[in-house]
Amino acid sequence: MSSSLKFDVVIIGAGPAGCSTGYLLAKSGLNVLIIERGSEPGAKQLWGGKAYAQPLREVWPELDREAPIHRWISIERFSLVSGERVVTLEYKLGRKVAFTTYLSELVSWMAKKAEEAGAMIISKTRADEIVIKNGRVIGVRSGSDVVEADVVIDAEGINRILLEKIGLASKLSPEHIGLGVKEVLKLNSEKINERFGLEDEEGVSWLVIGDVTKNIPGGGFIYTMRDTISLGIVVRVSSAYDAVERGELNKHVSEVLEDFRTHPYFYRLWSDAEVIEYGGRLVIENPVETMPKKLYMPGLIIVGDAAGTLVNTGYTFRGVDTAVYSGKIAAETILEAFGKKDFSEEILRRYEEKIKSSYIYDEILRHKGVSDLMREKFLFKDLPRLLTGGFEKILEADYEEPKIIDGFRKTMRENNISLLRLLSVMIKLVSKL
Amino acid sequence: MNRSPPKKMRIEELIRRNIWEVDKERHIEILDEKSLPKKQLLLLCPMRCYVEEEGRLVMHYEECVECGLCRILSNPKSLRWDLPRGGMGIRYRYG
Repeated sequence: MSSSLKFDVVIIGAGPAGCSTGYLLAKSGLNVLIIERGSEPGAKQLWGGKAYAQPLREVWPELDREAPIHRWISIERFSLVSGERVVTLEYKLGRKVAFTTYLSELVSWMAKKAEEAGAMIISKTRADEIVIKNGRVIGVRSGSDVVEADVVIDAEGINRILLEKIGLASKLSPEHIGLGVKEVLKLNSEKINERFGLEDEEGVSWLVIGDVTKNIPGGGFIYTMRDTISLGIVVRVSSAYDAVERGELNKHVSEVLEDFRTHPYFYRLWSDAEVIEYGGRLVIENPVETMPKKLYMPGLIIVGDAAGTLVNTGYTFRGVDTAVYSGKIAAETILEAFGKKDFSEEILRRYEEKIKSSYIYDEILRHKGVSDLMREKFLFKDLPRLLTGGFEKILEADYEEPKIIDGFRKTMRENNISLLRLLSVMIKLVSKL
Repeated sequence: MNRSPPKKMRIEELIRRNIWEVDKERHIEILDEKSLPKKQLLLLCPMRCYVEEEGRLVMHYEECVECGLCRILSNPKSLRWDLPRGGMGIRYRYG
């Protein structure tokens, strides 16, 4: 990079948000540079495994045809685990709503689309500073080089090092953040189809709560890829912290995940699979509390995880489609700004207004209670015990089958679960999810 | 199907699956061990970069995946936290 470089737009980070913004702006004829710290776009990307297609199609209508989609989710499963006992609910989907893939692979495709549209991507380059002059962002510094731009897009991701330095974002709070760890298990696609009951290109999305996180608020996930399985857990950081402090969690988080992988009910699905990668990342659990107070300043717009544009519905984290969509809104605002040659706050604040009237913010507000609900130990400990224990009493009777209600009543007594508490949580559950 | 009893993998084996470009320069450095949540770092850092060696907390930056957990559990006075330099650090293939 030379210090005399000037672009219309400089984007920090070639992730889902950075690539969608860059793609749309380059396609509209702007001179775009994307700075990526990884060895290539995708190298720093990690997620569970599932994306919702429709918001992505708005940016890339050719998505279904061209994107590296592994499987379309055809089955959603939800399991409660207590010891070796498991209660599972299954839903068969009727249309192509969400798909699985590696985020590394998807982002590599998005970056290619941006480059084909004319954006320039420089990898292996870490942005070190957002450069401000007279209260206005004028460019990005990397090492001793400064690249100037009319607008800088901060798409640096969940660890907002640069935004914190300029005081636009506060430090992430363990209360509002989850820690995710994931293994990728190699298994050929015929075996995956056979064991999960799938046709070619059909996939499973599976959420598991209870003992898989040692009853720490959070959950486990399973996604089928083309010829691998993505298996992981997410735990709320503050809860995991407390569990360690109190001695309730006394093994390494990778051992918690290994306990999940080797749980007899699940292990039969991949007993002969080989682990080919192991990763970890932070995830936003409470976007309302994580969103920076302002998503813009003169010459700057914040998109994606850095902007806290993630929807936590309680059964899934939607971070990639929302990141891409935030990039789409950013691109619209920036094109308007270039039309007027005005990069002041008055124009750029429209980005935040549009975000707040988009499906992203609607969803964030609609699921606002989920984060509190996820604090309920009841959900992660008592409920799995109640259901698995209740079914055990009803279904594993040798002679006299108890009435369903008696089976559950007895389990409640054994586990000290009060009916009132059960009802109050169920009502919260139904109203907030 | 393979019916042999499940064998759990140790963290050392899991980590061996990954690819890193290891920088000569360390990007995370313990500045004040006493003010760090030691137990939590030992158990929650996904790659177990934090270990106890001769009673002291040591951070092995080579296997770090830059997740940011230790950053949010500490402050800049107790832990210097940077991202690795460009092109360095974890390289996910199946992220």
